[in-house]
Amino acid sequence: MRPGLSLPMLLRRSLLHRRSRTLAELLSLTVSAAVATALLTLYASLDLKLHHQFRAFGANIVITSQNPGQALPLDALAIASQAAGPDSRVVPFAYAIAQMQNGSSIVVAGTDLTGVRAMNSWWQVSHWPQPKEGVPLQVLTGARAEKALGAKRFSLTYNGKTVPLQTVGTVRSGDAEDSRIYLPLEAFVSWTGVTPTTLEVQAAGNTQQIQAVLTRLRQALPSSDVQAVHQLIEAEANIVSRTRSLMLSSLVLISLTVAICVLATLTASVLERRRDFAVMKALGATQHHVRLLFLLEAIVLAMAGLLGGYVLGCGIAYLIGEWNFHTAIFPLWRIVPQVALLNLMVAVLAAAIPLRILSHLEPATLLRGE
Amino acid sequence: MSVANTAPKIGLETIIELRDATREYRGHAGTVRALDSISLTVARGEWLAIMGPSGSGKSTLVNLLGCLDRADAGSVRIAGKDVHTLSRKELDQFRAETVGFIFQQFHLIPYLSALENIMLAQYFHSMTDRTEAMAALERVGLGDRAGHLPSELSGGEQQRVCIARALINQPPVLLADEPTGNLDAANQEIVTGLLRSLNQLGHTILMVTHDPEMAQMADRIIELHHGHIVAEREVLLTPRLS
Repeated sequence: MRPGLSLPMLLRRSLLHRRSRTLAELLSLTVSAAVATALLTLYASLDLKLHHQFRAFGANIVITSQNPGQALPLDALAIASQAAGPDSRVVPFAYAIAQMQNGSSIVVAGTDLTGVRAMNSWWQVSHWPQPKEGVPLQVLTGARAEKALGAKRFSLTYNGKTVPLQTVGTVRSGDAEDSRIYLPLEAFVSWTGVTPTTLEVQAAGNTQQIQAVLTRLRQALPSSDVQAVHQLIEAEANIVSRTRSLMLSSLVLISLTVAICVLATLTASVLERRRDFAVMKALGATQHHVRLLFLLEAIVLAMAGLLGGYVLGCGIAYLIGEWNFHTAIFPLWRIVPQVALLNLMVAVLAAAIPLRILSHLEPATLLRGE
Repeated sequence: MSVANTAPKIGLETIIELRDATREYRGHAGTVRALDSISLTVARGEWLAIMGPSGSGKSTLVNLLGCLDRADAGSVRIAGKDVHTLSRKELDQFRAETVGFIFQQFHLIPYLSALENIMLAQYFHSMTDRTEAMAALERVGLGDRAGHLPSELSGGEQQRVCIARALINQPPVLLADEPTGNLDAANQEIVTGLLRSLNQLGHTILMVTHDPEMAQMADRIIELHHGHIVAEREVLLTPRLS
């Protein structure tokens, strides 16, 4: 025996009967869920992605001796690396002023070239020197320094000791690096005898996490001057905070816009079907019955929109991540309840005025003959 | 010829009783008294025709009799209950149990089949019973059209489904608003026949009509004008007796 009439059956028939309206409402609620999913996914991943972006701008903490120009303790690098933690990067720098063959001075820096490369990915470098032994020693030369040297192969003298060097790559940063020559720290120390005077630290995490690293470093190296690069940290915090506000505002505005679109469709739907609802009332349906039937239609569509919208939103978030941060942003299951709640709120908000119209339906007026 | 307070057929139980029922509507142009202290009694099993021009108060009277509206003053008793004392929810339930509606424009739900339209009345009344709904459809001669949507039925067939829907919960009162107004002569005949047999089975029928011939089917005719009953007469020789 075929089943009798039930609420799910009434809902299904009603939704399928007015296909174009149903599709319009479904599309609006899918867009709503997609936008919410994309923005909430980006919002949740924003800290990580923006901090990742900011890490490309170099160190956010600088450690020097409390007496300017004095070398740091020999174990400072190991102590700082341990205090900063595994997610942070510490790169040593030692500086000396050498003489070119024409007698002019030039700044030479000894460093961990692999660490510098990872820390300053925004530098424009034509080719990074490979860490290998040999003569002449391969170096990275700043664009302005290269011009002053006038040749790829050259010699520099420090404290009467001359070494042959060869430029294998040029660096352009638009800053002091353009006037320097970078060579591996070990070779630099054996040539000049100068040990590192500066440690640059790239601490991972948000402002609070960076502050924690700063505190640990100050405790670990009490005789050194540990300073945060405040401009970078504050700029990072500001941008993260403003981007978050912008995303939340966009989410609210888009959700309201979608709610208005759904409201228009639902209102048209009630006006089109007011006679059907009036008949139901005449047949004994209570206000509760009629309102529930209408509200459930909106809720069913909101939930159906959630399914498609979540998939679509994850795709949008992934593409935005690829295009803007060059890293994939993957779906987050934990935002599903939030997206579902938001879509339900949009649907219920949009149904508020149509429900009011339903409450004031006059079956006798709508159903009379004449 | 004006009879404001009509009496039921002698020996028959009163099913509807209006006492000085008044209904006013307030609008921008002021207050309009759609029904003005109307008193009316209808006997169980009686067929009453309500006539009158547009704006005479027919629709308002139908609203009150169909429990879709309440009087501002006076009392309305249907099947022994003063509807004024019922809460909104109780009134909905009372309407589902007591009144069956037959509309001029049928008003079937377009996405439900003929059978499901009948079951809809059961659904809002208590619970659906497919067998009973099918029997109701067969009684109006549409057993073979159960699965058809309203758009696949003729006007006459739709009206017969509407009648079956009105009857499915076995309400004591049938309220028919221009039941043959949208039908051709052949279908008018079928629907009139159905109403006649229902009345003979004991259903009370309140029928709004503009058609004097259709009104002659009733036991009694009342005429409304400006919210008053201005005429009332019994039909002595009804066609159903011929």
